[in-house]
Amino acid sequence: MLSRVADSLYWMSRYMERTDSILRMLKINYASSQDSPEDFSWEPVLRIFGNLDDEGAAAIDNNSRKILQYIVLDRENPNSVFNMVTIARENARGVQDNITTELWKCLNEFYHVVREERLRYALQYEDPVTVLDSLIKECMIYFGVTDITMFRGEGLCFMNVGKYMERAIQSADILDVKLSNFSNEVDKPTDTAYWKYLLMSISGYSLYLKRYQSGFEARNIIDQVLFNVDFPRSVLYSLNQLNRYFERLKSEQNTEGYAKVQFMIGKLRSKVQYSSVESVSLIGLHDYLTEITTEIDDIGSTLNKYYFAYS
Amino acid sequence: MTATDLFHKYPLIGNTWDEMYDEERVRAHYQNVFNSLSSIPADELSKKEELARGLFMSQGITFTVYSSGEGIEKIFPFDIIPRIITASEWDLIERGIKQRLRALNLFLKDVYHEQFSLKDGIVPIDLIYSCPHYLREMQGVNVPHDIYVHIAGIDLIRDYDGTFYVLEDNLRTPSGVSYMIENREITKRIFPDLIPQNFVRPVTQYPNILYNNLMALSHGQVSSPNVVLLTPGIYNSAYFEHTTLARLMGIELVEGRDLVVENHKVYMKTTAGLRQVDVIYRRVDDEYLDPLVFNPTSVLGVSGILSAYRKGNVAIVNAVGNGVADDKAVYVYVPEMIRYYLNEEPILKNIPTYQLGKPDEREHVLKNIHKMVVKKTNESGGYGMLMGHAASEAEIEDYKKEILKAPRQFIAQPVISLSNAPCYINGKAQPRRIDLRPFALCGPNGIEIVPGGLTRVALKEGSLVVNSSQGGGSKDTWVLAK
Repeated sequence: MLSRVADSLYWMSRYMERTDSILRMLKINYASSQDSPEDFSWEPVLRIFGNLDDEGAAAIDNNSRKILQYIVLDRENPNSVFNMVTIARENARGVQDNITTELWKCLNEFYHVVREERLRYALQYEDPVTVLDSLIKECMIYFGVTDITMFRGEGLCFMNVGKYMERAIQSADILDVKLSNFSNEVDKPTDTAYWKYLLMSISGYSLYLKRYQSGFEARNIIDQVLFNVDFPRSVLYSLNQLNRYFERLKSEQNTEGYAKVQFMIGKLRSKVQYSSVESVSLIGLHDYLTEITTEIDDIGSTLNKYYFAYS
Repeated sequence: MTATDLFHKYPLIGNTWDEMYDEERVRAHYQNVFNSLSSIPADELSKKEELARGLFMSQGITFTVYSSGEGIEKIFPFDIIPRIITASEWDLIERGIKQRLRALNLFLKDVYHEQFSLKDGIVPIDLIYSCPHYLREMQGVNVPHDIYVHIAGIDLIRDYDGTFYVLEDNLRTPSGVSYMIENREITKRIFPDLIPQNFVRPVTQYPNILYNNLMALSHGQVSSPNVVLLTPGIYNSAYFEHTTLARLMGIELVEGRDLVVENHKVYMKTTAGLRQVDVIYRRVDDEYLDPLVFNPTSVLGVSGILSAYRKGNVAIVNAVGNGVADDKAVYVYVPEMIRYYLNEEPILKNIPTYQLGKPDEREHVLKNIHKMVVKKTNESGGYGMLMGHAASEAEIEDYKKEILKAPRQFIAQPVISLSNAPCYINGKAQPRRIDLRPFALCGPNGIEIVPGGLTRVALKEGSLVVNSSQGGGSKDTWVLAK
């Protein structure tokens, strides 16, 4: 496979995973903002997912609609859904002969959806949850179409490598948005409504109830989002999948690159696998999450060096 | 509005061939489509037009126009009423193009080798050496099977009496074939059953024929040749076509930066290291192909690719240097080439053409400039043209100055009116000017022309310019089996 093609597939996939995560994160935060306005702040969301200076952040303050518009549609925000879908589609455009026509059509339609005037209007005047749900649905169509139609080759492996790297980062970030202040008080019962929304947004609510059979405790949430291998959005699950799809890329031609990346993935996986809520709270959740995301970024750079470099 | 209103008051333009009407009578080969369309309520037709638009959009059959930093997706306008060509008309077109292409291929081989035709005075030697597309770098280079023009898009128009004329020979990187294929797919969706009812010949085999021809060009030392399509990239307006063709042929779509030349061999950069490339169907112009030989600022090409080509380590399609044969001044001599190389009379006519490099012809043209179309010999896409009957005095004066600076760069032709075909515009059928570009594929086993082509249409009322860059659109083009 051409290096450029592998690179594009990888980024297309990362951007789509990020789009999906950000939409879900927005949905819970919006719901939460309607529940308990006195405890709720958009500050962490803007800090982690936005690109505003203090002045810009002050300008949209805690106005939920403005924040939704900023994160979904703002042309100036490189992480806006609008821009990410555009980039994902641009990447797909350059590799149309390496994806199925169904997948191309699906991304292309999503691209046209985020450009509709109608969306801007709806986000300003209509129910934001309905709007976010409709966009999340576009993402789900993308994932479904990928799963059902994409040929099981090298291209899909690079897509999945990108997808699970991004997912691990996003799950870490979603935890970080709210939980980073809880490092020293993991046993304290907290804002129930928020945890519920958080888990629902990442489809982890039912699993949580079954597994932990308790009220919402930060330690259990951390356990589920970081370590639960049955939970498809947990960091450990994502790293296992990353490992699985990367191993399929083993070939005679690129042994050096393969060995390097494989080593890094294995090391990170072990690190997460042999951590616990207790050991995490010793380091501090925020620092621990930062270590993980930094290591994932390093894996990305190494992939880039050995697999994608073409110009 | 009732159904029959569609063709009601359809104006017939004097001194112009109408594809559908023979005076007041609908031509036999259009009767079936005329009946079908007439039975559809007008608002249904508008819905179909909308459906076609939606299909083009969602499938990404678009090109991107960048303005104020943001890309806007544009569709090459599509007219829903098909253009129909009878079996006997097609027979003439097919024979004519094959003949012309055989001669042009022989001419290219001749120009870049012995130059018999120049020595025999068939084509003036100064015309060749002054042509910017004549490449000395190609002199004496042998190309596989002596084929230079693998893909040709020869443009045809019809004068007032219906006679087909060759407007120009496109022998470099003709585009538009993806619209021949996609327009047909759209017609299938918007007019169910209409195609089988009319016994329309299929066009879907085009990519297979092209693929087989490309495979046949590899030097035969490898069991499975690596064939790629070289595109200038996503910012090119024909990018959609490049990706469609690559996908339909199952070959890799590459950009210049994906390729590298080492030891006079071309390789592509893959995740598993370098892999040799045997055949390149390039959609990058000669000028940008190799910065070491041609335009040194080009980032679209590959450094050293021409040396690999000259050594025969890679086949390039179409051959490099073909521009010398589709130069608008050389066009004048194609009928003579046909007589010279093939000892046959030309089947398709040339439009009478004046070369402004010749003093007597220049004088004649400048005197009669209001009746002329003046073109630059090395421009395409409808750029650099003067339509004498429509231009203002000031425009003409400016253009004359341009001509006198470099007369060799200009030719003139009498205004040919182009035939009309009915188009669906604002809920009514209205006549608009059209041309025809069939796509001919030349391989070791001969020339094949897929029955169909690109019909371009000048959507502006009264306009004679069909180029997409000048407000043109396209139609599905039917060749009937009987």
